[in-house]
Amino acid sequence: MICFDNVSKRYPTGLEALKRISFEVAAGEMAFLTGPSGAGKSTLLKLLMLMERPSSGALLINGKNLTRLSRSAIPRYRRQIGVVFQNHQLLSDRTVFENVALPLQISGYPPSETGRRVRAALDGVGLLDKESHYPLTLSGGQQQRVGIARAVVHKPKILLADEPTGNLDPVLSAEIMALFRRFQNVGVTVLIATHDLSLIHTLDHRIICLADGMLISDGGSASGA
Amino acid sequence: MARNPGLTDLPMRGAKDKKISLADRWKSYIAYHRITLRNAFKKLLVEPVQTLLTVTVIAIALALPSAMFLMLKNVEQLGSGVQASAQLSVFIKKGVTSQQIKQVQKQISDLPKVFSVDYISADQALQEFKALSGFGQALTYLDDNPLPAVFLVQPIRLGTSSSNQVEQLVTTITSFNAVDEVLVDMLWLQRLSVMTDISQKLVLAMGVSLIIGVLLVIGNTIRLGIHSRKEEIVVVKLIGATDAYVRLPFLYSGFLLGLLGGLMASILLVGSLLWIGQSVSVLAALYQSKFDLTGLGFSGVLGLCALGSVIGLCGAWMAVMQHLRTIEPR
Repeated sequence: MICFDNVSKRYPTGLEALKRISFEVAAGEMAFLTGPSGAGKSTLLKLLMLMERPSSGALLINGKNLTRLSRSAIPRYRRQIGVVFQNHQLLSDRTVFENVALPLQISGYPPSETGRRVRAALDGVGLLDKESHYPLTLSGGQQQRVGIARAVVHKPKILLADEPTGNLDPVLSAEIMALFRRFQNVGVTVLIATHDLSLIHTLDHRIICLADGMLISDGGSASGA
Repeated sequence: MARNPGLTDLPMRGAKDKKISLADRWKSYIAYHRITLRNAFKKLLVEPVQTLLTVTVIAIALALPSAMFLMLKNVEQLGSGVQASAQLSVFIKKGVTSQQIKQVQKQISDLPKVFSVDYISADQALQEFKALSGFGQALTYLDDNPLPAVFLVQPIRLGTSSSNQVEQLVTTITSFNAVDEVLVDMLWLQRLSVMTDISQKLVLAMGVSLIIGVLLVIGNTIRLGIHSRKEEIVVVKLIGATDAYVRLPFLYSGFLLGLLGGLMASILLVGSLLWIGQSVSVLAALYQSKFDLTGLGFSGVLGLCALGSVIGLCGAWMAVMQHLRTIEPR
């Protein structure tokens, strides 16, 4: 599903964020991306979101080469993936419902179907009763769950998460991880960047470890698809 | 998790890409337009002072060249009224028979641009001259009448490029056999025409520079709006929004600003015209003229609003595209 083939990324400043990275994540697999700060986790996710383009190498998603994707094809590609951001990136001037509805609105779903899907997604993260609240009135864990609902409301095949448990206590973090596992169980490919090693070692999943822009270990797939 | 919904509740159950029908897409598109327009209105009302300032600047920049254009139009109209009295005097050669004179008269009145032809015979001219000049007594000593017969030709009311047309008329009439000479006081007509030409170019140059000014003002206002929604734009783009989706709210804002500017410019112009119009009527009455100031008219108001809206759209478009280019993947 996700295939890095000799991918390097050098920023205009000269910083070489990724050096000849090669790995593959199969469809329906859940993997953790880890490593110290500045190891290149964010850059790797940015390449997957097409916020940045690789300097060299090939990046294939579902068999399609992202490096060849034209500017105008980017929106369509991004609609096929779901992204959970580190600081959840909710729009504070819109309600929880409107935030979660955003991807559907962008993809052109009719308003009637939007309501049904948004409620299903909010129900999935256990926040159905908060749909008319504003994000800032929710707790950190709840906000992150709204972010997850927004990331999955359009049923993406790939779910990316950047430090989804960044500011959460262990109990909340475990809840979030349980959510991700449920998505994996229904066939979504999940890639989670995190430096929360204590958390991921309690889970039985593949761990891809980066350091200084290089792949230093790939913990094998413990619980594949 | 407090509650654990069954897997059936999960949105990605059967994560197949369900195609969205064209009709649904259209519905959603219309809904987005409606929401966006409403939000754009709200945003203008949230900062009434800022909005009023921007709209006023746009209105003044639109009203100035329009006012000059109107002034020019009125001067032209005044000129064309005078042009109607630009009479041609057609002198007939000596010794031409009355048969030939009748023929020439018919020839001239058959020309398409001639309104009327009056004939003054040589005898009539002499009588008139005797009566008016005061040389009456002296003239009786002349053996024969030194004055030629004359046609007074009144051209039809001509358009703005009249001096050219009058010239053509003169050439045509001069080419007739029996005609000796055609006289017309063209010089001041030509001067007026050149002067209006120059003023037209001035108005055009001023109009263009002020339109560019409006473009920049709207672009700048939109840029401020973009700046305050920077994060939102990035998030929406990352979720897969197209440029068009991001652009739409700003296009509506620019459109509304331009439209309101056009409306306000129209109000300013109509108001000033009413005010000036009174004095003009008094002046015209003093000259015993029925001259009326040409106003903006409904089409003028419509044109100003359309111009404002188009400039607003363009300004917003440029500002958004400039911003979107900076957040492209590299």
